[in-house]
Amino acid sequence: MQPEYEPLCQAIIQGRVEEGVALAIKMVEGGKLPVEIFSQCIEPTLTDVGDKFSRLEIFLPEMINAAEVVKAIQEAIRPFMVGSSEQVIKGRIVIATVFGDLHDIGKNIVKAMLEVNGYQVQDLGVDVHTQQIVKAAKEMDAQIIALSALMMSSLPFVRDVIDYVKSSPETARRFKVLVGGGCMSREWAKSAGADGYGENAFEAVTVTNRLMGMDQ
Amino acid sequence: MKSEWLMEIVKRSENGPYCSEKEYDLLLAKTIPGLVKKFGIQYNANVLVPWDDDMADRMYQAALELLVELGAYNIDTQRRILFTKDEIEGAVFAAPSQLILGSEKDAVVMRHRGVESQVPCVIHSGPTGTPCSERYHPLIQASCAQEPLVDCLGAGSVSTYKGEKIIPGTPLEILGSQRDAAVIRQAAREAGRPGMHINDVASPLTCVGKISTYQPDWGLRASDGLLISQMVEFKTSYDQLSRAAYMQSVGMYIVDLMTPLVGGLGGGAEGTAIITVASHLLGVLLYNAAYHIYGHMHLLESTDTDRMGLWVYAAGGQALARNTPLLTINAIYTQAGLGTEEVLWEIAAASIACTVSGLHQGGVGATGGSRTDHTSGLENRFNAQVSHASLGLSRQEANSYVLEILRHYEESHMNPPEGKPFSQLYNESTVEPKPEWLEIYHRVSDSLEKMGLDVYNGWHRKWRFAL
Repeated sequence: MQPEYEPLCQAIIQGRVEEGVALAIKMVEGGKLPVEIFSQCIEPTLTDVGDKFSRLEIFLPEMINAAEVVKAIQEAIRPFMVGSSEQVIKGRIVIATVFGDLHDIGKNIVKAMLEVNGYQVQDLGVDVHTQQIVKAAKEMDAQIIALSALMMSSLPFVRDVIDYVKSSPETARRFKVLVGGGCMSREWAKSAGADGYGENAFEAVTVTNRLMGMDQ
Repeated sequence: MKSEWLMEIVKRSENGPYCSEKEYDLLLAKTIPGLVKKFGIQYNANVLVPWDDDMADRMYQAALELLVELGAYNIDTQRRILFTKDEIEGAVFAAPSQLILGSEKDAVVMRHRGVESQVPCVIHSGPTGTPCSERYHPLIQASCAQEPLVDCLGAGSVSTYKGEKIIPGTPLEILGSQRDAAVIRQAAREAGRPGMHINDVASPLTCVGKISTYQPDWGLRASDGLLISQMVEFKTSYDQLSRAAYMQSVGMYIVDLMTPLVGGLGGGAEGTAIITVASHLLGVLLYNAAYHIYGHMHLLESTDTDRMGLWVYAAGGQALARNTPLLTINAIYTQAGLGTEEVLWEIAAASIACTVSGLHQGGVGATGGSRTDHTSGLENRFNAQVSHASLGLSRQEANSYVLEILRHYEESHMNPPEGKPFSQLYNESTVEPKPEWLEIYHRVSDSLEKMGLDVYNGWHRKWRFAL
């Protein structure tokens, strides 16, 4: 990373929102393109944050704080962007823990990881009915529906969402379904017809990128 | 808890300060680092069983301050339930320091254990947090109930009823839950121990499902318990509180389950230990818990036998043992699957760390409770033997053992051996462990004996204490 990005990088890592926003705006006003800032500084910084989190060298609060800084930067530099915010938003995702399951920590980690990787994520919470999930995806015009579940007893409801999406050509075309959680395996996800499976939050991001056609 | 206190919890749930769940989580995440610093709580990866009494006492003070500052959170009303310091300490010191679990000749006394206590651990077992198949759940329960060193049983989570997936909130949930309650009682009866304490039926997810298991003739009795959960972190709901209302009315033991996450909102080991201690206090305030399940877990892997997890057990356990009368049991979640050496090494490390730090033994969840039927009686026997052999150890000695034991599994801990399910490790007709599983059990036991831990005969200390 170029030395000029180091202060912004540190602001993100240390969760300093105001400083991060001020630095980003200063760069944009100085002639940097927002896309350059994202690709040359923010994305590599977040990759580093994600790697450290995967080894628990840093913890969830640091991840959340880094995501907050990046979200604030996205908002702040939007007026400076030519065209739409789509330049820095990779895609739109609704995420939920399925009906009958109240566990949200895994979902929250995946959400944070997706956000720090440039996705706009609408969190529907826990214990969410199939119809609510699909309705929210339509309203958001999401590309991906991400489902989380911990309990074995929740598996039928994960499958229910997948079946619901695949049962209509329109929803099957519009939405890819990504699944993950303690009760699921790669084999189960495949047999249930999911488009993607993330064993952990990091794989969830990788698979999301693949589903969005952004394989690295 | 008197019923008026439960009314007070509802009143505070309806009138406490409004706060979104996200704001509450962030408040917790921002408060913890300051408390860790203020009270000088320090994790040391080479001292997993600390012997610093002053740090244990400071950790209790940090937990108390955290609870006063944050209160609990009711996810149904999105309000904080606040408590004063006097209320917290008043309730905690009125909590029982010993209980009679189970009934008649099969009853056991679970006493508050101090640090380096000579009081033997009560040994809970059963498929701790582990999913079980309908077919093997009865045999798994039988394999636990027949173990002489096992004192109490707990149910596995069975997700089907006669092959149909159980949908929470439907009649199938009640039918499946009642079947499980009957299965465990039958296992206890067949082992000649009909009065064994049962600490939970794990399949139901709703209040109705849970309380449907109270069937004194053939299921759970007043001498048994059921879990009431605190959601991560410090969160409750009316469904959970309603369980407390029912259970106290029939006289059952309320068991407080918490799952603080190491690496989660509390940050590292220090913050998670503070949260775990505070969760115990909260379990008394919210649910009038008789005893508690000390159930912290690694954020990314479902285990508590990594270095930070072991330290949280030992440091938080000592804080509770030295500063409260509370009764708490561990829940050993291993990475390795059943039928492996590694699963036994993981159990040994946690068992020793917990025994000298004031906890009782709550059972083993192999594969972090992720694989079906990875649970049996033999590893619970092993857990009991290691725990009883550890009675009388100093914390320094325990720390040396734990560090030595870690060498046997740490390298493969995050890429653990899969192991085998119950059906491949036990004879289904005789409900005895197969030679393969016994051979592994003896191999690890022999190694521990060579280290100086009297695994095979240490349990005599349990009876000496009783005399």
